[in-house]
Amino acid sequence: MFGLILLEFRKLLGYRSVRIAMTILFVLPWIWSLAPAVQQIYKLVLISMWQMPALALLTVMQFILPLLVGMTAAELLGAEVAAGTLSPMLLRPIERYKVLGAKYLVAMLYPFILLLVLMLSSLLAGARFGLEEFIGGTGFGEGGFIGSGVLGIGQALLEIFKAYFIAGITLAPIAALALLFSVVYLNTAAAALATIATLNIMRLLVVFPAINDWLLTTYLEAYVAAPENLLKALVILLLYAVGIVATGLFIFERKDL
Amino acid sequence: MQSVTSSRPQHTLIASKDKSTAHIVVENLSKKYGKNTIFEQINMVIEPGEVYALTGPNGAGKTTLIRCMTGLAFPDSGNVLISGKNVYLQGTAARAKLGAVVEAPAAFYRHLTGRQNLEAHALMASQAPNATRVAPDRIREVLSLLEIHRMSDRKVGEYSLGQRQRLGVAAAILADPDVLILDEPTSGLDPLGIGLIHRILSSMAAAGKSVILSTHHLREVAQYTDTVGILSGGRLVDQIDLRERQTAFKFRVDDPQRAAAALQTLPFVRRVYTRAEYAIAHLDSENDISSALSRLIEQNLRIYEVAPDLFDLYDYYRERVEQPFAL
Repeated sequence: MFGLILLEFRKLLGYRSVRIAMTILFVLPWIWSLAPAVQQIYKLVLISMWQMPALALLTVMQFILPLLVGMTAAELLGAEVAAGTLSPMLLRPIERYKVLGAKYLVAMLYPFILLLVLMLSSLLAGARFGLEEFIGGTGFGEGGFIGSGVLGIGQALLEIFKAYFIAGITLAPIAALALLFSVVYLNTAAAALATIATLNIMRLLVVFPAINDWLLTTYLEAYVAAPENLLKALVILLLYAVGIVATGLFIFERKDL
Repeated sequence: MQSVTSSRPQHTLIASKDKSTAHIVVENLSKKYGKNTIFEQINMVIEPGEVYALTGPNGAGKTTLIRCMTGLAFPDSGNVLISGKNVYLQGTAARAKLGAVVEAPAAFYRHLTGRQNLEAHALMASQAPNATRVAPDRIREVLSLLEIHRMSDRKVGEYSLGQRQRLGVAAAILADPDVLILDEPTSGLDPLGIGLIHRILSSMAAAGKSVILSTHHLREVAQYTDTVGILSGGRLVDQIDLRERQTAFKFRVDDPQRAAAALQTLPFVRRVYTRAEYAIAHLDSENDISSALSRLIEQNLRIYEVAPDLFDLYDYYRERVEQPFAL
């Protein structure tokens, strides 16, 4: 199984969509760090490198990251169907759940790779604002960017890692959803489109407060959630992930290819 | 054109084979997409060492049948056993004995080299329970066998159609399977490549492996195929035992009907019928010709010619496909 996962990672890194996503996420923080109107839009004056990761995440988490994650996760299966390489794999003595399970694992780890690129790039782009302790906040902790006094480097790093990790957990079910649609449609474009459409419909469903707590999109900003709300968010995200993965495995087991 | 006076019924051919030792048993396989029947009631038994060619017009259902036989697609009813293992219920164990190429041309990861692709296949082949790891030497061996060793370190994206097809066969035989299932294995190959693939398949059959291939190149495969199945309109309209045809002889005589009656009484004559001025007899062996001639001379028949009754598979196929339901 470990060999299969490594093989899937190798394939993932060969996809053009991954290279495009990494390029976008590397470049965007540099644009924000130089953007003259950023203060007006986000009411923020950058004074430290440690604030840049929050600004970078804030700008991509609602649409760009779900789109990039959805595209590549859908491609994990759809590209193989299009290229005809899925069949030879399934003709080998491997259970189908292992093949798809390896893809699910890689798809759900992929957001963490993208977020790592975004975080490192944002730190580099923000370095010119200074990397020593500062008066203010990272944007992830108490008080947002204003903070609550002097913030040390260790505390800033901790807040950034925690926020990015939670963001990764938030995006993992979206990756799983894209892969599920890919199992259903056996097509990258259809699966990516279905994923984005689903997320947009979920966003519109906020007009029904009764189901608001159960919508995946409600938790896209869980990385800045108050600690008392975080556990609930993580549980719901976990339920989504388990439900989506289980459904995908079930369908794939008897899928005609 | 050769006229078909009789053919051995499919059920007789299947019944004559031992299912318990067969490498592949297909039982009552049927498949529909919605209301559209792709194929129905397919029965096949393929023994160790047998080469079985599946043919039929475009759209006859060959590819879907092959996908169902390999477990890539699922039938609405029926079963497929590979070396006694049910493909749908014991898929891993069944596929451990299987080597297959179901795409024409064979599909590979284009950004990996030929060797890296085979290494990936070796990794996947080793996932079977109790499977032994495919050694790097074996990868070199199959690359050499398919005569693509010198380009094995190039990315597959740079391969020609024929080279990819050769790599496909290399991947299929990599884990030394008992059963080979190949969809159009010579598609895109030059004449030398076609000859090479045929030699490899023949030698695998000689080593006791079973080979199933779908093909339109009937005259090519007739040289080494044991059985030909004709799929038309979703039905396996005929299964022809070519081994039996190899011992058929035609006797041009002055009275074919009387000659047929005389030959019929001989113990080594399995079938006899007439066609124009010929009496056609299927003998147990070529060595029985002199005895058959003696019998005809005893009957005072005038013999003008004795020759092997060469079976033209292409003509036969054309006739069967044009009247698919006439069994």
